[in-house]
Parts: sequence; C-alpha cells; structure tokens
Amino acid sequence: MTYVEYKQLNPFQRFAHNFKKFIVSIPNALARFFKTIGRGIVNFFKAIGKGFKNYGVTFTKGDWATKLSYLIFGIGDIHKGKYYKGILYFLSEVFYILYMVFFGWTFLSKFDTLGTVKTREVIDPGQIIARKVYGDNSMLILLYSVLSIVITVIIFAIYISNIKDAYRHQIMRANGQKPTSLKTDAKEFLDGKYHVTLLSFPVLMIGIFNVLPLIFMILIAFTSYDKTHLPPGTLFTWVGFDNFSSLFDVVNNSKKATTFLELTKWTLLWAVIATFTNYILGMVVALMINKKGIKFKGLWRTLFVIAIAVPQFVSLLLMNQMLQSNGAINVLLSHLTGSNVEIQWLNSSVFMARATVVIVNLWVGIPYTILSMSGILMNIPEDLYESARIDGASPFKTFTKITLPYMIFVTTPQLITQFVGNINNFNVIYLLTGGGPSTENFYQAGYTDILVTWLFNLTIGSQDYGLAAAIGILVFIVCATLSLIIYNNSKSMKDEEAFS
Amino acid sequence: MKMKRILAVLLAGMMTATAFAGCGGDTSSAASDNASDASSSTELQVKDSIVDYSYFGDEDNVTLKVWAPDKAVNLVKQQVEDFKKAYSEKTFNIDVVAQGESDAATQILNDASVAADVFSFPSDQLNKLVDADVIAKVAFVDTVKDENSADTVTAGTIKDTLYAYPETNDNGYYLVYDNSVVTADDVKTLEGTLEACKKAGKKFIMDCGDGFYACTFAFTAGAKIDGLEEDGETQKFVDYDEDEAVDTLMAFAKLIKDYKGTFQSLNVKQVASGFSSGTCAAGVDGSWDTEVNKTALGDKFGAAKLPTINVNGTDKQLVSMFGYKYIGVNGSSKYPATSQILALYLSGEKCQKERAEQLGWGPSNLKVQEDSVVTESAALQAIKEQSENACVQVNISSTFWSPMGNLGNKLVADAWDASDKDATKKLLQDTISNVRDEG
Repeated sequence: MTYVEYKQLNPFQRFAHNFKKFIVSIPNALARFFKTIGRGIVNFFKAIGKGFKNYGVTFTKGDWATKLSYLIFGIGDIHKGKYYKGILYFLSEVFYILYMVFFGWTFLSKFDTLGTVKTREVIDPGQIIARKVYGDNSMLILLYSVLSIVITVIIFAIYISNIKDAYRHQIMRANGQKPTSLKTDAKEFLDGKYHVTLLSFPVLMIGIFNVLPLIFMILIAFTSYDKTHLPPGTLFTWVGFDNFSSLFDVVNNSKKATTFLELTKWTLLWAVIATFTNYILGMVVALMINKKGIKFKGLWRTLFVIAIAVPQFVSLLLMNQMLQSNGAINVLLSHLTGSNVEIQWLNSSVFMARATVVIVNLWVGIPYTILSMSGILMNIPEDLYESARIDGASPFKTFTKITLPYMIFVTTPQLITQFVGNINNFNVIYLLTGGGPSTENFYQAGYTDILVTWLFNLTIGSQDYGLAAAIGILVFIVCATLSLIIYNNSKSMKDEEAFS
Repeated sequence: MKMKRILAVLLAGMMTATAFAGCGGDTSSAASDNASDASSSTELQVKDSIVDYSYFGDEDNVTLKVWAPDKAVNLVKQQVEDFKKAYSEKTFNIDVVAQGESDAATQILNDASVAADVFSFPSDQLNKLVDADVIAKVAFVDTVKDENSADTVTAGTIKDTLYAYPETNDNGYYLVYDNSVVTADDVKTLEGTLEACKKAGKKFIMDCGDGFYACTFAFTAGAKIDGLEEDGETQKFVDYDEDEAVDTLMAFAKLIKDYKGTFQSLNVKQVASGFSSGTCAAGVDGSWDTEVNKTALGDKFGAAKLPTINVNGTDKQLVSMFGYKYIGVNGSSKYPATSQILALYLSGEKCQKERAEQLGWGPSNLKVQEDSVVTESAALQAIKEQSENACVQVNISSTFWSPMGNLGNKLVADAWDASDKDATKKLLQDTISNVRDEG
C-alpha cells in the first residue's frame, strides 16, 4: 500500500490496517528476537574458543614464572616485582582451597543426589534423654552447592586474569618497562577506574542477596521439594522437568494443568483489561481537568491524589469489607431501594467477581495515571496546538494528531511496566477477593486467582514449592518476552529523538 | 566533579541497600556422632511434673528459648520463673518470646536451628513437624499418658510414638448465643436456632468459606476424616453412605436457603461484633474468642454444643473439627534434656490449672478437668460436649482446607440449587477427590 492509498482510507480502515501490520510484524519480531539470542550464543562460544586459544598460546610463550602461574596464582606477578597483586592472587587460591576442603566440598559432593543420610536419635554418654542427630538437609546442600559453584566461577575468572596479568608483565619486562606501584594503582581506582570502586560493593551485595537466591529458586523448580519431601526429615531430589510437565499435562485432563491453563488465560485477560481501562479512563480524566476553561484545576488534581495518600492495601482491605454480603455497599443499596439487598459481589458469580475486581482496580489505579498524564499534557508545546488551530484543525483532529501520538510515545514504557505489573498484581487480587469465588475444578485456586496468587497459595498453603518455582519461571518468561517484543516495536525505542 | 562523585557514591549505596531487600537469617546445622543410638527409653520417675536432677545429665547454665502465643506470654514467663525455683540447683537463662501458634510449625520448618527450644502449637501441625523430623519424641511418655485425657494422647501419637506434651483440650468451636433471643431449648436444633434468630430479625453467623468451619458439613454428612494414607500426605476418609451424605448436604443447603438473610456466612470476627451491635443472635465461634464474646454479651452469654439438623425426619448432630494444643520440643535443641523437662513442667497439672483460671483454656489434664474452674464454665462445658462429636484435628493434609472452604461457599451461594441431587453429589465427590489431590 502506498502512502497516497493510505491517506485515502477512513480512520477505521487505517486502524484495521495498522492493527494488521502489527499482527503481521509479530512473527518477524519473534524471529529477530531469536536471531539476536542465537547470535549472542554464537559470539559467546567464539569468545570461549578464543579464550582457550589464548590460554595455550600464553603457556607456550610464557617464561618459567608465567608457566608456574598456571598452577600457583600470582607467581608471575611476584617474579616481575608486582608484589601486592601477586600476593592477592595467591591468597585467593589459598582461600578457595581452604573453603572447598573445609566447607564447600561437603555440600558440593552431594549435589547430584541432594543428600541420602537421614535424621536419627542418639543418647549421649552421661545423658538419659535422647537428642536428634541431623543427617543431610537437601535444602542446605542445594543452597551451599550453588554458593560453591558461584565461588568456583569467580575463582576461575581470577585464575584467568592471573595468567593474563603474568603474561602482560612478562612482556612489559621484555620491553624494559617496570610494573606500576601499589600507590599508582590505588590512585587509578579514584580516577580512571572510579566506576570499579563505586560499583564493586553494590554488585557484590546484589550477587549475594539477589542473584544467588534467584539461582537457588530456579533450581528448586527441578526438584521434588513439596509437602511430602520436607527436609531434614524427608529429603528431596532432582526430578528434571516433572513440575513443568505436570502443568502442561492437558492430555490426561489433570487438575493442575487445567488450573494453569485457565489461570493463564485470566491473568492475561486481567492484565490487558486492567492496564487499558486505567490508561484510557485516567487519560480522559486528565484531559478533562487539563481543558482550558475548567476552574479549580488544583483542587480536582488534589482530590484525586488524595486517593493515593491512602495506602493501596488499606483501600483494598476496606473495599473487601464494603463488598461483603453485609458490607457498606449492600447496606447502602438496601436503604436506597427499601428492600433487603444482599448481592454477593465477590464470592458467587465468576463474572461479577471479575468485573468487581476490575472496577475496584480503577479506583486504586486511575489517580496514578492522572498524575503522570497531567504532567505530560502540560509539557506538550503550546505552539503545536496554535499552528493546528491556524490551519483550521478540529479539536478532535488535534487530539488524534498531536495529543495522542505524543502521549503514546512518552508512555509506552510506562504502559509496559503497568502491564507486567498487572500480570503480577498480587495486592489487588489477594486482598480484595482472596482468589474467590472458589471452585472444585481448580487445584488450590479460585476463579479470580492470577498466576502469582496461585503461586502464593501453593507455597503457603499446600507447600508445593517445586511446582510454585516452575510457575514463577513461566511467569517470568511470559513477562520478559512480551515486554521485549512490545518495547522493541514501540516508537519510543525506534525513534528516540522524535519529540525532543 | 566532586559533587558528581558524591552523588555517585550515594547512588551506589542505595543500590547496595536494595540488594538486602528480602534477606533472611543464615542457617547452619551441626552433627556429632560419638553417641549410641537411642533404642528404648527407660521409664522415668516424675512427681508433680518435677523430675530428678539426674535427668539433666551434664547440662547446666542452660540457655533456652520458649515460644508462647501473645496472650499467654506473661503467664508463661511467670511459670518459667516457678520452674527455675523448682530446680534451684541449676542455672537457667530462659527467654519467653511471643509467637502465634498458627504458624509455629512453619517457623520451625524455616530454620529449626534458630527457632525456639520449647514451643506450643495446635494439633493439625503435628504431622508436618513429624514429617520434617524437627520435633523430638516425648521423653516422659508414661507420665503424660497417666495425667492427660486419652484423646489428647492418641492425637499426639504418630506411628506409635508420642511426639508432644498435651497442653489444652479446647481447640474447637461451638455454638455461642444471645440467651435473651435464643433459648436453651432452641439451640438443640439448627432449625430452632435459626427460627428464633429470624423471629428477632437477627443473624446467625458461621464462617462457611473457611475450611476449618465448613468441614462441619462434610463431617455431619458422614465423610469424616480418618488419618492419612501410607504416603503420609493423602487424606483418608471413613466409609460413608453417599446417598445419606448427599441428603444431609441438601438439607443444609435447603435450610440455608429457607433462612436466607438470617443464616450468614461471614468472617468469624463478625460474631463478636454482631453481638455488640445487636445484629447477631447466635454464631459458631471458637474457644479463642470466648472472652471477647463474653464481654460483648455480658449476662446474655450462652454457650452450647453445636445443634442438630433434621435430615429426612431424623435429627443429626453436627460434627465439628476439634483440636488440641501441644507443647513440643525442638529436635535440634542444644539442651534436649532441659527442654524436655521444661515442656513436661509447662504441660503439667499446676500450669494447666493456672491457664484455665487466667486464660480460660480448657485443660487436657484429667485432674484439672474435674476442677471447678472447668465444670462451672458454660463455654468449657460446651467445648467438652462438642469434643465428643468431633473429628480430631490431627493428621490433616495440607490440601484439606481449601476444597472444604469451597464446599461451604457453594452451599451458601445464591446460585446453588438446593434441590439438585446430582450437582450435590458431584460437589461432594469433587471435594473429596480434591482433598485427596487426585487428578
């Protein structure tokens, strides 16, 4: 379709055309996505290959000290006069060996089975009352094995850098250069390598407190850790993809698979509806407030922002109480109609409960949209509107041609965050309905449960830790793919300079 | 340049701080093996919950942590002081910490090595604790068996081993009512109770969405629980007549429909607030709320066992869930002997009597049960009578609660057709199979 043809279409046809274009572009976007990943993998292996080559080459070219560095960390550096660095390298090797011998290996050696020795009771000499002696604990084995593996990877990196450093200093000596002193190096950390000084501690902490637990949790998805395998009494072990396959076991009509399928559908539906209702209605209210001629703008904005001032969970719990069958809303309706109204908002009809959740979510969500939209609206250059007026554009035209494109451009990243946030919107669902209305057709879930609240029920209620971890991974995959595709296709990404 | 650096340092600091979000304590476990395997424990001499010093072995300068529910902390502290006096030759450093009973087991399972040495917990958590092997066996079995009611001992026994010291015999619910509206004669039947409430225009409240209360429907219908299967997790049920069970459930649904507006499924907290606001005349509530309900009703407080329901002409007694509370000893305690001796003391006659007097907890100790504290309390009598028509809350599968809550929700829902026999049958079958995690 040429530009001229496009211009002759009416708005609906244009929308249809653009929509079709978007749908058609999805396979391409996916292909590009996987191509990028594929390229990444290829580059990764190429880098490894290069690493091995360098490893060999350095060994043949190195002098005796460099060669010895392949076994004992830091010898090369010490030989070339770079004492402090050599000693640090050496200490790291000593630390690693001590750590492995006295701690790491006891856990790592059981990593394949996650433990076999069970708990027993003994009576110590001199005692009458028995005490328990704990055997293996699968969870601790898994945890410390992950720690040991991460430490091993870090030490390996240090090992490689030790060899490179030894060779670098060998070449420097051959060229008649002297290694830099400790003082110069330390100064470098406040100047050229300032980013290292700043970031090393945060990165270390994020590694220990965020990345390590993450790896641990991901591994749990591949174990049989559930209510029948609670360490230290009963040990759990690796089960491969069993937890995942039980979620996709639609063929046998298993309850877990049905639940997963139905909840995924509702989760996505919920995320789309919740995101767009908040976005559109928030935008409408913001536009109304921002319109020329509206009086007391500050007052209206403040009124809406007050809703934010009440913590979200408080509003939700209050709403939950108000929507009970004897709650404020039914009482109010009873007084208004004069008859006894007892509508079961949250725990009878599926449609009613879901609709109620969406509407209550408007209450907690719209103020935020209004807040950000007002800011954006006030930022649109006035001269754009002025020239549009001079050209004789109708208010509707100005909205679709200036306001809307500008808003969508600025807010696409925010929309994505909100969409992902809604997929994982634990608060609204859990505090408002608790998953109800309940059903006998789902496993540990109700009709308004989304995947995260189901995950919560599985861990807190029925202790299916492995299953819950598997669901967590799947939710992550869904969120990550969707956000990447949408963001990479958005104008804000492709044309960063458009409105600057 | 300098400003920039300071800013950068601040940012880096914040990034570090976020890294700590959600970090917990560390775990460690130690095991030494120079000891003999425990085979049979020799029986021990106990008098008034006090044992001979030899049972301490070589433990002295003992540091212990005790978990007690919020309401009981002060009393337990007092009792710990008495314990120290009773064993004045030893030095103790015992710390009493408030910890809700309902998640005591979860806390112990999280990390047994930093949890309390002696803790109280409700009976439904026992199999979890035993499965995970974090609770120690009772060392003074014969004493506990002699002094406590047989039911509490049986419920504390798993595979012929007694794992916990019985503490109370009251963890259940009963009918609490406003005796100015509902008479002692009315509360004998559910129909009578509801009729009296309806006449007065007041509510009858039962929390049907909570499996703990809603299982009454299934139990009364005949589908009573009967421990766990061999796998230690799947719930077993006694054999029951399905037609009769379906009839019972339909009778419940019909009654609820007939008294719509009077019979209300609301959170159990609404019972007490309904009493104080005068909108509620009767409700199903538990021993833990006895004091609140008494305050709300004052002289009008009435308590009785759950009523009967008329199914095809015969009156059937409502069967409830009934549990006990126990005192357990952490298996990984550094002072196993002292912990056992303290648990024995805290679950003894003297301590149980003090708790009955000061907290209104129904005792499991046989002597205290005969005491006037218990026999003169209407609530404790109601609890005792209801305990004879109840399933014991022990060996409950973790998949038990939500299907039972669903059963209750369905029966009280507006959309439920009380005369649909097939749907009721399917609901019952689905509930049982969900509890058993089949399919």
